[in-house]
Amino acid sequence: MQELFILGVVVLTSAAAGVFAVRGLAWSVGALAAAVRATLEFVGAGLVFFVLNLVVGVATILILRTLGGGPVSVYVVNDVALLALSLLQGLAFQCWRQAARATGGTLR
Amino acid sequence: MSNRDPREGSAWARICRAVGLAGLALFIVAAFTPLPSLVERWLAIPARLEPADALVVLAAGLNNDGVLSNNSLRRALRGIALYNKGLAPLLVLSGAPAQTGGRPEAQVRADLAGELGVPPAAVVLLGTARTTREEAVEVGKLLKPRGIQRILLVTDGDHMARALPLFERAGFEVLPAPVFDTVYDAAGPEDRLSTSRSMLMELGARLYYRAAGYL
Repeated sequence: MQELFILGVVVLTSAAAGVFAVRGLAWSVGALAAAVRATLEFVGAGLVFFVLNLVVGVATILILRTLGGGPVSVYVVNDVALLALSLLQGLAFQCWRQAARATGGTLR
Repeated sequence: MSNRDPREGSAWARICRAVGLAGLALFIVAAFTPLPSLVERWLAIPARLEPADALVVLAAGLNNDGVLSNNSLRRALRGIALYNKGLAPLLVLSGAPAQTGGRPEAQVRADLAGELGVPPAAVVLLGTARTTREEAVEVGKLLKPRGIQRILLVTDGDHMARALPLFERAGFEVLPAPVFDTVYDAAGPEDRLSTSRSMLMELGARLYYRAAGYL
């Protein structure tokens, strides 16, 4: 029930935003596909950074343990802040990439 | 001339789209379907509550203010309840000090056990081990000289699958006593995400233990 309510609210506000964008701002419906692709790229870049952060974090802790740097729990990386920061990293990286493209930078 | 649709973009963009799509699909499945509870139920090791030589309650950490974490409190209460049912004459409470220092988790649990009627003579403290593997080794050193063979192992359901073989390897006959006898359905998306997160962490720990040769 709770999940249906949450999904319902999100669908409702998305539909309202869609109507406003098409009728009020005259955005083309065709551009929505590009927006979905860009959103997936932002999320994907964030998740790539998340995996990278996890690997670097766990490896650092294991190295510290091996070097006798005291008892450090691997569970310190189990923090939702790491996911949030990773998504921000991904967002910033993708924005930088787009800015570089706009200014004629090399893209790979 | 390339036939590729220019909207597809670079290799990086395609990788990001694929990862993003997979991540969003995983999020929706984890938050909005009963799959996490089904997997948790499938992975659960059922309780085998029979008389044993000792109850071993594994550590789950203290909060920074020195109070038992929720998991630690649940495990301790389960161990105390099983002791009070007369399933074992000895209650081993594990738990090192918090990383910020202070009293060991085992001592905080022992105080709780005392308040709930467990005599101090029946309590054995293990306040040094910081990982599940260290707990198995240290409990072995502590209990084997006493001739203890059969233990009831108290920990969370998702942790049991990793802890149980470690204690068997330490030479014990292990009876699983997970904190809950049944796996409850997660209530709402946040609860499901929490369950999924715990399972993923435990899966990562198991993979590490296998790679390190502990399992």
